[in-house]
Amino acid sequence: MSELATGARVVGALGARSIRQTFRRPQLISPIVVFPTLLLAIQTGGAGAGIALPGFPPVQSFLQFMLAGSMMQSMMLAGNSGGIAFAVDIEMGFTDRLFASPIPRFAIVLGRLAGTAALGLFASLWFLAIGLIFGAHIEGGVPGALLAIALITTSAIAVGGIGAAIALRTGSASVVQGLFPLVLVVLFLSSAFFPQELMVEPAKTIAEYNPFSFIVEGVREPIISGIEAKQTLEAVAAIAGIILLGLWLSASALRHRLRTG
Amino acid sequence: MTAIVVEGLERSFGEVLAVQGIDLRVEEGEIYGFLGPNGAGKTTTVRMLTTLLLPTGGRAGVAGFDVVAEARQVRASIGVALQEAALDPLMTGRELIRLQATLQGLPTAAGRKRADELLDRVDLSYAADRRVGGYSGGMKRRLDLAAALVHEPRVLFLDEPTTGLDPVSRKTIWEEVQALNDDGTTVFLTTQYLEEADQLADNVGIIDRGLIVAEGTPEELKGEVGNPHIELTVGEGAVPEAERVVAELGKLRPRKGDGRVLLEVENGAGDIPRVVRALDEAGIAVESLELVRPTLDDVFVEKTGHHLEGEDGSGTEPAEEEPAAT
Amino acid sequence: MEAASVTRAPAPNAPAWRTNLATIAALVARAKNELLRVPGAAIPGVLAPTIFFLGLNGVFGSLIHLPGFDSGSYESFIVPVSMLQGAGFTGAAAGVNLARDYEQGWVDRLLVSPAPRWVLLGGNVLAASARAFIPATFVLAIGFLIGVQWPGLDGLIVCYLMVAAMAAVAACWGSMLALHYKSQSAAPLMQAGMMALILLTPAYAPLALLQPWLEKVAEINPVTHVVEAARQGFVGSVTWGETWPGLLALAGLLAVLGALALREMRRTNA
Repeated sequence: MSELATGARVVGALGARSIRQTFRRPQLISPIVVFPTLLLAIQTGGAGAGIALPGFPPVQSFLQFMLAGSMMQSMMLAGNSGGIAFAVDIEMGFTDRLFASPIPRFAIVLGRLAGTAALGLFASLWFLAIGLIFGAHIEGGVPGALLAIALITTSAIAVGGIGAAIALRTGSASVVQGLFPLVLVVLFLSSAFFPQELMVEPAKTIAEYNPFSFIVEGVREPIISGIEAKQTLEAVAAIAGIILLGLWLSASALRHRLRTG
Repeated sequence: MTAIVVEGLERSFGEVLAVQGIDLRVEEGEIYGFLGPNGAGKTTTVRMLTTLLLPTGGRAGVAGFDVVAEARQVRASIGVALQEAALDPLMTGRELIRLQATLQGLPTAAGRKRADELLDRVDLSYAADRRVGGYSGGMKRRLDLAAALVHEPRVLFLDEPTTGLDPVSRKTIWEEVQALNDDGTTVFLTTQYLEEADQLADNVGIIDRGLIVAEGTPEELKGEVGNPHIELTVGEGAVPEAERVVAELGKLRPRKGDGRVLLEVENGAGDIPRVVRALDEAGIAVESLELVRPTLDDVFVEKTGHHLEGEDGSGTEPAEEEPAAT
Repeated sequence: MEAASVTRAPAPNAPAWRTNLATIAALVARAKNELLRVPGAAIPGVLAPTIFFLGLNGVFGSLIHLPGFDSGSYESFIVPVSMLQGAGFTGAAAGVNLARDYEQGWVDRLLVSPAPRWVLLGGNVLAASARAFIPATFVLAIGFLIGVQWPGLDGLIVCYLMVAAMAAVAACWGSMLALHYKSQSAAPLMQAGMMALILLTPAYAPLALLQPWLEKVAEINPVTHVVEAARQGFVGSVTWGETWPGLLALAGLLAVLGALALREMRRTNA
């Protein structure tokens, strides 16, 4: 029990540190908030007429449709950013200091993930606020908004776990940074920005099976129509799958790092 | 002709006055050593004289041109090797010197020839086609110096040219600077190393907290702070007796913490035999004896109340010493 | 050894125009080192616009079915936008490199030389223009593979002209920020600025199909003319009437941003 309590305190302290790091340096916030917001404006303005296409789900506006995708984008960039920060810690030797301390190993990774989760929370609140300010309705009301926030926050943990695993395995910030285009690729090959049925092949087929499509649909449904069990459960399953993958990769990378130093 | 004239030169950064109105003159053909601790204002002064920074007060002229109104002419007349050794790690040494030649307006063929000559002169021909990123610290400084010379400047500015270098590399740079000066180049050199200023400079200006606190030849400055002193190490317990014996032969200085006797003498090495004889007659065994001449650090302490080097661990140059004559 | 006379005449130099040209050429030659000597350095600049091109096509390709879309294929419609985006990234990267050079002291070497400031800036800007050909060609090649229609030689030339000039505009923007902030932390501003400029136009859809607020913004954004001019050959035929507004817009942007960048370059010693 006492180890758990220590672990929780350490996770809190490291999480607070990672949150402070991000919010103190604007150039870290900018990719997470500014770019996705800019892209949201450009895409709703440029492709908004698409809601008139046959087969487009009934929505109040393209903005309402796009909010979930922007939250996803922001969340994934937060995960990438957390991975970069973790890799910088490794390069600087800060993680060695942590490894040499009498703290549970899992707390080191979870502390970083706590920070990423906080960023995910921030991202979801930010875009919900943007949506409300510019006239989008949240059809699922407060429960719908809370569900969207919960899904984005847990997704941030999931994606953050992958980022942390890569950081632990490579120990190189520039390698993790180089994966940023991959984030864009994964998003474009999902239904983050347009209904999957209306996408063009081969993106259409890939999006059908992309786990991130399930997540974004789970976040989108409460916003454009209301809470639906099917989409919610599919999103939860996808998130759980990525969390498990991230945990497994992180644990393996952590063992490797501790073994090889 | 005066190579550098500075009158009331000032530079402030917000509320901080980094250079507080300094005057100095450097004659053509001189090596002027600008000595001071970190943060004294040396680099700020050099950046103003090389047109990289605008003064916020006063005037300065380099090679006959005003640094503000005739900045371009100043740049055409000076060579600059800056503290950061502004080099591109992806370029080779040869490419860098050729680029510098182009920047200085040399025609291509002349620039190439000059690059080869200079690389040879600074003993970098063997590494000329290797990337600068792989050069050692000493090699980078030599390359930077060579680049500064590509257009045969009238005035050469060297900003801490040997900081961070090993003693051998430092000596090589010193020899090169001396050789350049022998060829007639005026050199304005900033340094935090006493020995460097002492060895190289014809005239030294000491700057502290933005003000010039002393100026003159090294010998003049050291002469201002007085006479050399003898440092004696005697047996344990014999210090008070030793002090009593030698007190008549010179002026006693406060002991150093380790119990050495310090005696200021007027005639330098000439006084050593008398001191040794007196102690011998008193039956006091001398374990070691050193003649310590005033250093520029002593000048600095006299003028500012604190040491130039050693307080923050930088530049631990030994004071000049004479071997013991027991 | 007696000291030689210290009165030195300056070395006889070539005429100023030739020296300036040689300096610009030398700075462009230096800029290519990063591409040729750093493994993989070209990849980010090529990858980003390519991913956007393929991604946007995959995501928004169905928009072509909307009434009001004159173009036959969405990929032909957006390929010039992606090429211009590549130019924007390249120019912004030139700004980031200048900031890095400033932080590392390299820019001091340039500033302490007698080369005119416009020459130093010109070298950076011209290098970006030349470099923009790489992502533009890569995106276009991929575009042809997935069915982009041949724009005709005139369409191709006009498009590449727009790309090169847009890269110069972006390099002026990036250089201005680099010299103002003297730090690489201004990089997101360099990139976001260009992204906004290029995409707040009829990038994704024709002007009439844009949302009202974006339609208004695009109407006053000079880069709209650049996008339309670059796009001509890919969606129809090239006319002088569609080309000159793009040229004028670029000339105007270059004049304004170039002047601002030059001002910053002259003020580095302030």
